[in-house]
Amino acid sequence: MTEGNDGRLDLSAPATPEMMGLVHAVLEQLWEAHDDVAATDRVRFEMAVIEILGNIVEHAYEIDSTDTGSRRFDVSVAATETELVASFGDNGLPMSIDLSDVAMPDELAESGRGLALAMAAVDDLSYERENGRNLWRLTCTRKG
Amino acid sequence: MIEFAVETTPQGIAVVRPQGRLNMAAARRLKEVLDGLVGDGRNRIVVDMEETTFLDSSGLGALIAGLKSARQAGGDLRVARPTEAVRTVFSLTNLDRVLKPRDTVEDAFDD
Repeated sequence: MTEGNDGRLDLSAPATPEMMGLVHAVLEQLWEAHDDVAATDRVRFEMAVIEILGNIVEHAYEIDSTDTGSRRFDVSVAATETELVASFGDNGLPMSIDLSDVAMPDELAESGRGLALAMAAVDDLSYERENGRNLWRLTCTRKG
Repeated sequence: MIEFAVETTPQGIAVVRPQGRLNMAAARRLKEVLDGLVGDGRNRIVVDMEETTFLDSSGLGALIAGLKSARQAGGDLRVARPTEAVRTVFSLTNLDRVLKPRDTVEDAFDD
């Protein structure tokens, strides 16, 4: 984990479920550095960050179950006076998703809520494919 | 790493306490714990979430799976004492109607 001059925190790690704890730890460090961020903003930002990471990890497994070691992701998180921002990059295959089509599944569905939950939690979520990488950007406007 | 404490009340209700973060890594284990209880015939289950500091869609999926298998076995799964983080997820996914969080573990099966 590295810390930029602007207080941004960066992490690069293999795209495996075990790395979730590391990203939670990065967020804990962000909250320590910005103890004025309201609990409600922390909760929804952390939820969305972990859902996007979950999506990246699941996708990494789905496309290549024998060679997960080469799938990596980078994440960068930052807090400003008005926003919480996270950017993810990963070298998995392109995602075939249209975020405008994402909706909550049936109440008793056991999966398929991740992106819908991330979108409901943050104020802006974007995905693009650039130079062979998947790029996600999440923004929470601070309300607390 | 999350811990799952499991105990059984004198009324035969199984109480599962996920302590820590209920995310993708932990959801599979919760599903195994819940499947194991229903498989043992303990189909009335309370998931006490007082110490669940984080919940994601995978953890939610494990709760729904447990709810369905408990109901199929003639029982039910009830959620008690959710933290703010857990309540936020229930409310954003509109699942507070299905999972109807209860205020106490003791009263979770009173209705």
